[in-house]
Amino acid sequence: MKRGITSLVAMIGILATTLVWAQSADELVIVRPSDPVSLDAQEETTAPGAWVFGNVIEPLITLNADMEIEGRLAERWEFVDDTRLRFYLREGIEFHDGTPFNAEAVKFTWDRSLFADPPGRWASLAGPIASVDVVDEYTVDIVAEKPYGPLLLTSTMVYTGVVSPAAVERLGEDYARNPVGTGPFKFVEWRTNESITLEANDDYWRGRPELDRVVFRTVPEAGARTLALQSGEADMLLKPNPADLASFESSEAFDVHAATGLRVFYLGFNLERAPLDEPLVRQAIAHAIDVPGIVENLLEDAATVPTSVISPGVLGYADMNLDERYPYDPDAAIALLEEAGFTQNDAGIMERDGEELTLQMLPAAGRYLQDQEVAEVIQEFLRQAGIQVELNVFEWATTFTELREDPLQYDMFSFGWLTTTADADYTMYSNFRSDQFPPESWNSWRYANDEVDELLTQAREETDVATREGLYADVQAILAEDLPAVPIYNTIEVTVVGADVEGFEPHPIEYNLDLYPVSKAE
Amino acid sequence: MLAYLIRRILLAVPILLGVVAVVVASLEIVPGDPVALMLGEFATPESIEATRTELGLDRPLVVRYVDYVAGVFQGDLGTSIKDRRPVATIIGETLPATAQLAAVAILVALAVGLPLGVASAARPHGVVDNAVRVLSLAGLSMPVFWTGLVFIVFFSVELGWFPVAGRGTWRHYVLPSVTLALPSIAILARMTRASLLEVLQEDYVRTARSKGVGSLQILYKHALRNALIPVVTALGLQLGQMLGGAVLTETVFSWPGLGRLTVFAIFNRDYLLVQGVVLVLATVYVTVNLLVDVSYGFLDPRVRYA
Repeated sequence: MKRGITSLVAMIGILATTLVWAQSADELVIVRPSDPVSLDAQEETTAPGAWVFGNVIEPLITLNADMEIEGRLAERWEFVDDTRLRFYLREGIEFHDGTPFNAEAVKFTWDRSLFADPPGRWASLAGPIASVDVVDEYTVDIVAEKPYGPLLLTSTMVYTGVVSPAAVERLGEDYARNPVGTGPFKFVEWRTNESITLEANDDYWRGRPELDRVVFRTVPEAGARTLALQSGEADMLLKPNPADLASFESSEAFDVHAATGLRVFYLGFNLERAPLDEPLVRQAIAHAIDVPGIVENLLEDAATVPTSVISPGVLGYADMNLDERYPYDPDAAIALLEEAGFTQNDAGIMERDGEELTLQMLPAAGRYLQDQEVAEVIQEFLRQAGIQVELNVFEWATTFTELREDPLQYDMFSFGWLTTTADADYTMYSNFRSDQFPPESWNSWRYANDEVDELLTQAREETDVATREGLYADVQAILAEDLPAVPIYNTIEVTVVGADVEGFEPHPIEYNLDLYPVSKAE
Repeated sequence: MLAYLIRRILLAVPILLGVVAVVVASLEIVPGDPVALMLGEFATPESIEATRTELGLDRPLVVRYVDYVAGVFQGDLGTSIKDRRPVATIIGETLPATAQLAAVAILVALAVGLPLGVASAARPHGVVDNAVRVLSLAGLSMPVFWTGLVFIVFFSVELGWFPVAGRGTWRHYVLPSVTLALPSIAILARMTRASLLEVLQEDYVRTARSKGVGSLQILYKHALRNALIPVVTALGLQLGQMLGGAVLTETVFSWPGLGRLTVFAIFNRDYLLVQGVVLVLATVYVTVNLLVDVSYGFLDPRVRYA
C-alpha cells in the first residue's frame, strides 16, 4: 500500500513538472483546426502549413493585402523579353542558419520544386517554366518556354519562398520539419498535432518583428477554438465558426478582420449526363436556388454572393451579374423545365417520358464552410421546383477521389476552388479547358467549348495585363451563359483577434498570414 | 505460472496477426485514394502514379500484408503516407499523451469510484447509496463529448480555473481526465457495491462477525479484498474503454494523443498509420487482459493457473 502511495505522489510530481505553458505579452498564440502535413513549401499545399512557413521563408515578390505586388527578396524586377523575367535581389541578407542569400539559393529553391522527380506539388502551377538562370550573384532570371502571362503572379506565391540550400543539404528529409529561410521568424519546434513555435529573427533585414514568439496551436474542435479565444488562452483565431462571429463582433474584447477571399464554392453539373447536358435545365436549377438567401441565412454573411465564376480580387475578374441574371424565381425554374419538355406529376415531381427527374449529387462535406448544409438546402430548393436530389454524403477522402474519377458517377457535385495565384489563368485553364478533364486536371463538369479553349490559350500566352483581362472577361461571359456550374458563395477570409492585438491585416489569399507587422499592446 | 504466461503470450501473436489482417482488408475496401488526397489539388496523374510506386501501394494486397508483418517482427511499422515519417516514431510521440491521460483518469476513477462503492455497500439503500446510484446513472448516461464541453464552458470560460484545451501543466489534465473518468467512476462504484454486498453474505463474514470483529474491519480487511476480483476485471475493461473513449475526449480537449491521431489517420487514409495504431491498441488490450488474469492470483490465492 505504501508503495502505491509513493508511486501516486511520484506520478503527480511528474505531471506537475511537465512543460509549463505560460503566455507572455510578446507571445502570440494562434489557434487553428489542423496541423500541417509538412513545413517544406514544395511538399505542403494546404493553408495550415503555409501559415507557418510563410513567416519563415520569403518569396522574391509578394502580393500585399491590397493585392499589389511588393518586393521581398527581390528589390526590383523586369521582363527582359516575353519569356524572361529578371529579378534583382537584395544584398547582404542571411538565412537563419547564417549562410548568405543569393541567386544560387533562388535557383536551388525553384529547381528543387519544379525539376525534381517527382516534381514538387506546386510544379503544375508553374506551367511552362523552362529554367531558372543565375545571371550574377544577385540577379536571377525565371525563363518560360513561351510567353506566359501568369509568370509574375506565380512568383508571388508563398510556396516559392526561398529556402537555405545549406540547410536542405544538411537536414535531408528532416528539412520538412525544420524549415530555414530568411523570414521575420525562425522555426523553433513542432510538437505534432499540438503546437508549432516560432521566434523572432533578431537579424531580420526589415528590422526585428515586434513579437518575440508565435505559437500555433492545433485545436480541431470548433467550439474549443472559440472558447480558447474567449478565455484569453489564444490571441488569434483562424477559420472561426460563422455562428460565433456575431458575438465576437458585438464584444469590445475582440476585433473581427475580414477580407474578400479568392475561393468560390460551386454547385457543379456533370455535362456528360442527361438532362444536365441541356442548358435549359441548368438555367432552371440556377433560378430554383436562392443564393442570397443561403449566404445571408445559412452562412450568416460569412461569405458573399458571387457575381462570376471567379472572385473579385483575382486578376481577370469581370462582374457577370450572376445574381441578377439568375435571380431566385421558382416559377421561372418550373417554366424553363416545362419548356425543356418536363411536366409536373401529381406528386409535384417533374417528369419526362414517364421518368421522374432525380439527380444524384456528390456534395463536399466537412471541407468547406457549411458545405453539407448548403447541399441540403439546395436539395430542398430543387424539390420545390419538382427536382428530386439524392445526396451521397461521404467524408472528404472519398469525395475527393470520386471527383477525380473518369467518368464522374454523379449528376451534380459541390466543390470549392481557390485561385491560389490570384490570376484567372489558374482557375480558368484547369477548370474550363476541354483538355483538362479528370484525372488530368479539374474540369470536373466536363465543359468543352472550342472558343473558350482558344481564348484561354491566348490569355495564357499574352503578357499585356489589359489584353488578358479582356480575354478573361470574354470567357466569363460565355460561362455565364453556358452555366457549367452555379457559384453559390464567395469566401470571406475572417480572422478574430483579441483587442490587444495590433497591426494585423487580413489577406484575401487564404495561405498568406503575415505576422511581421503584428504586435500586442502591453 | 511461468508456463501459463508463456502460453498466453504466444496465443496473443495470432490474435494480433488477425487484427492486423482485418484492418488491412477493411482499409482496402474503404474508398478514397490516400495518394491523390496527399498530393492535393495540384497533383498530375503522373506524380500520383510515381508516388504510389514509391510508397509500394501498387503491389498486391497479400504482398503488402506479408511485408508489413515481416516488418513488424523487426520493429518496423512502416512509413506514414501523409507524414513520410516512420509510424513507430509518430506513435512514440503520441502514445505518452494518451497513456498519461488514461493513467490519471484511472487513478481518479479508483480514488472516487471505490470509496463511493464501499460507502454505498456499508449502508444499502441509505442516503449515500441512493445518491451514488443516481450519480452513477448520470455518469453512465452522459456522452463524453457533451460532459467535456459543459466542463469547458463552466470551469474554463466562466470560472477560468482550467485551460480550455491542449496539454502542458497539471491544470491541463484536470478536465479531460475527470471527463474520461466519469463513466468509469460510475461503473466501479456500482461493481464495488454489488460485489461487496454479495461477499458480505458469505459464511466467513458471518463467522467473523460472530467472533465480534468490528464492522469497519470486516468491510475493509475481510470483504473488500475478495470483492475486488470482479472490480479488477471491470478496471481492465475500463482501461481499454478509456483508450477508445480517448478519441472523443482528445478531440474535445485538443489533447494530442493516440485517439486524435487515429481520427486523422483514418480521414487521411494513412493506411500504415492506422494499422500501426490499431496494432498498438490491440497489444495494449491483450496485455491489460493478461495482467487482469494474473492479478486474480494475488487477490485470491485460491486461483491457480494451469
